[in-house]
Amino acid sequence: MPKLIKNGEIVTTSQEWVQDVEQQTIDSNSIVPMQFWLENKPTVAGIWIDAGEGTEALADVDLTQFDVIAVHFPAFADGRGFSYARLLRERLGYTGDVRAVGGFIPDQLGYLLRVGFSSFLFAPEVDLEKALKLHKPFSIAYQGDVHDPRPLFLRRS
Amino acid sequence: MYQYDAIDQQLVEERVAQFRDQTQRYLNKELSEAEFLPLRLQNGLYVQRYAPMLRVAIPYGMLSSDQLRKLADISRRYDKGYGHFSTRQNLQFNWPKLETVPDILEELAQVQMHAVQTSGNCIRNTTTDQYAGVIADEVVDPRPYCELIRQWSTFHPEFAFLPRKFKIAVNATESADRAATQVHDIGLHIKKDADGNIGFKVIVGGGLGRTPMVGEVISEFVPRADLLTYLDAIIRVYNQHGRRDNKYKARIKILVKALGIDEFRRRVDAEWAHLRGKESTVPMSEFERLQGFFTAPAYEALADQPDSLQEKLAQSPGFARWFERNTFAHKQAGYRIVTLTLKKAGQAPGDATAEQMDKAAEMADRYSFGELRVSHEQNLVLADVRQDQLVEVWEAAKEYGFATPTLGLLTDMICCPGGDYCALANAKSIPIAEQVQNAFADLDYLYDIGDVDLNISGCMNACGHHHVGNIGILGVDKKGEEFYQISLGGASGHDASIGKILGPSFAQEDIAGVLQKIIGVYIANRTEEERFIDTYRRIGMAPFKEAAYAKVN
Repeated sequence: MPKLIKNGEIVTTSQEWVQDVEQQTIDSNSIVPMQFWLENKPTVAGIWIDAGEGTEALADVDLTQFDVIAVHFPAFADGRGFSYARLLRERLGYTGDVRAVGGFIPDQLGYLLRVGFSSFLFAPEVDLEKALKLHKPFSIAYQGDVHDPRPLFLRRS
Repeated sequence: MYQYDAIDQQLVEERVAQFRDQTQRYLNKELSEAEFLPLRLQNGLYVQRYAPMLRVAIPYGMLSSDQLRKLADISRRYDKGYGHFSTRQNLQFNWPKLETVPDILEELAQVQMHAVQTSGNCIRNTTTDQYAGVIADEVVDPRPYCELIRQWSTFHPEFAFLPRKFKIAVNATESADRAATQVHDIGLHIKKDADGNIGFKVIVGGGLGRTPMVGEVISEFVPRADLLTYLDAIIRVYNQHGRRDNKYKARIKILVKALGIDEFRRRVDAEWAHLRGKESTVPMSEFERLQGFFTAPAYEALADQPDSLQEKLAQSPGFARWFERNTFAHKQAGYRIVTLTLKKAGQAPGDATAEQMDKAAEMADRYSFGELRVSHEQNLVLADVRQDQLVEVWEAAKEYGFATPTLGLLTDMICCPGGDYCALANAKSIPIAEQVQNAFADLDYLYDIGDVDLNISGCMNACGHHHVGNIGILGVDKKGEEFYQISLGGASGHDASIGKILGPSFAQEDIAGVLQKIIGVYIANRTEEERFIDTYRRIGMAPFKEAAYAKVN
């Protein structure tokens, strides 16, 4: 079973990221493409959003039915997923697991955590023990974020 | 100027430690070249033609004498004893060793400086008018707002991996736009509404590079409390919808153009509706806190035009010339703004040696409350000089090579480092600058020509802002040989415009001659009050083109 970093720990998961709905079987452990879910409404663990899809299509969906919503990074330099995670948390009020999948890298963890990601399915070659050392943002931040919406100017005493 | 508290300091120190770790992992081969690239770029480190280049931020151009001395010290110990001031209020070291960069950053942090987000596809150093806070016709001092933007943009978690780089510039005066705001991704013009409330006219989608564009107005007035939520809304739309398939079409200007300003505005407003009024709304207390760092220094009660100044102006044509060109009216009676030009013949525009940096720091301590500014035109500024000390300042400036009295004239060029240093460049730019300095060395002739912006870039990336020079020179590669394309009619102020190409490019050795012909057309056609750009706009390209390409018989 694949390993991922979730809530600051290395864990194994039975959830399966389904990239190809033709080839892979869909069951209650599957994380299926958002568009596929919208068209078929299968009972699954969750959905994944690809870069370019945005979160607008989920505005009227009851997200509490998903244990996980994954956001795909085609490459680590493609930062669209940072906005998507934040919109899932702040705009759509999703409180389940938001998972980064794809080509992001451990050095982005600080920012990924701040925009609301809670689990990380890294590319297979990433050493998770080493990645775990980078699993923290700077101890302070000027802006508000998903964990504390107050910018520093509301917190600076 | 702004002073770090323990929190600001801790943040830059954590950044230094993070970058030290990243560099170490790269050198240990735990990080690949491709992975290290955006990490080092977010910290201003390029790999150049001969060595890395480190770009240090000088936030909105403010520099204390201690900071400048530290830059001089670093240039001596880690580089070749000089630095290059860029067009966006940064300082570039051209020869640091990669493995020493963490140490350089640690030293910078000791004087509250850093290289955070000076390159990479993120929000860059915010720039403004080098005369901010000391000119009479300003709406308000823009620097507290620049600092607000600096803090908001620093390690913004959502916007560190944008489609492309993102530059913001702020202007606060009707009479001029010295920060070239209309050719920035976002240009902010501070203004007051009919009730005297402070806010911003917001311009979006300007930029240079391969597809130069003047920005368009997205909002006539955003109240200052809403500035950060409005910026968040613009950049969130850009982050999601800007093109990522082609780096030459990835700047926000392309998105604005593709959607049209009305549709782009509609999307930003839809996003803003969710953000406006939330926690990022700036409270009055924060404006007051930031304004508290930019209060007037202890000016003495002095009269304008003291006798000693008037006498010297009458006696010394050299001093009078320098006074006319290189100093500027101050809002406080008895004071004057002085520009220390970095445009001496024989020195690359914007370059300063370690000794010059030390001397400029010393002059700032002695004559200008220990502070300096860095300008878009790649010069240094002493913002608060007593008029009765101007003669001393002039003497010192002459001694150290800062007194070339050509501010705003043809030889006060903006120039990128070009093919001598930069791996991206198609052609050298510094030899062109040198050629122009030599061909136009006669001061009387230069004064007669009057105000002209000459901007030189070594390639399409346009670091020398050639598109917005009244005369622009662009280095191009033709089958391995360096050629230069000339454009006319660009401007970067409130009347911003993109220059038009004169015609086929010229060989390097012909540039000065062609410029002389172009200037000749101007002189023959100008009316008494016309600057170069005015004559060009009136008579158009044709006469210039005809003269430049006329066969010699």
